[in-house]
Amino acid sequence: MIAIQTGDVDIGALIAAAKKNGTGAIVVFDGIVRDDEITEMELEAYEEVAVKELEKIANDATDQFRLLHVDIIHRIGRLTVGENILIIVVSAGHRKEAYAGSRFIIEAIKAGVPIWKKELTKDGGRWVPGDHGHGKGHH
Amino acid sequence: MQWYDNKEKNSGEEEVTVKIRFFAQFRELLGTDIVINVAAATMFTHLITTIARKNPKGYAAIFDENGTFHEFVILMKNGKRVDLTDAATTPVVDGDEIAVFPPVAGG
Repeated sequence: MIAIQTGDVDIGALIAAAKKNGTGAIVVFDGIVRDDEITEMELEAYEEVAVKELEKIANDATDQFRLLHVDIIHRIGRLTVGENILIIVVSAGHRKEAYAGSRFIIEAIKAGVPIWKKELTKDGGRWVPGDHGHGKGHH
Repeated sequence: MQWYDNKEKNSGEEEVTVKIRFFAQFRELLGTDIVINVAAATMFTHLITTIARKNPKGYAAIFDENGTFHEFVILMKNGKRVDLTDAATTPVVDGDEIAVFPPVAGG
């Protein structure tokens, strides 16, 4: 499943569904709203483009690391400390491919998928600065 | 169909209808989903400059003091990147969805 949504997901159910013929390892990445003296986090996406880019990242990772299954669920809207922001479930024959595929996906999301975060504090809010390199490693 | 409507309204002068979407801090300063009729062959930079001028803070978020895009600004036309260096010579086309946003920070 590739999705951008407000609601949470059942990670246990995703893991169960990610077990395919040949699965020897599943790696789960769960990005969580950290308590950086914030009250809440507000997330926003250019949804149509972001979903397409997540699909491309999942396909690239599948090809490159011989993955058997990929889920990427990125939440948007208002989230509180401790809530899940991003869940990546990767299934592969072996741990090496599973870890590498998971890492590839999170780094690709950070580099180029149009999603933004605003940290809300008692005094207002602040947009989390993104990478200025446009995902191409230059400034 | 919009093309013919506009053509009639403007005595033969061709106009196009485009939508501009700002995101994150740009959206807070300038709004989003702005549907606007402009002369055909209006260039990206000209269109975005015109809209951004409605709020000095919004303008300053996107352009520097010389009226050049800040190097971190990202432009898209119908979901595809437009290089900042091409924006001054890229015309908008009827039905275009133009997106303007700061560096992404998901994950």
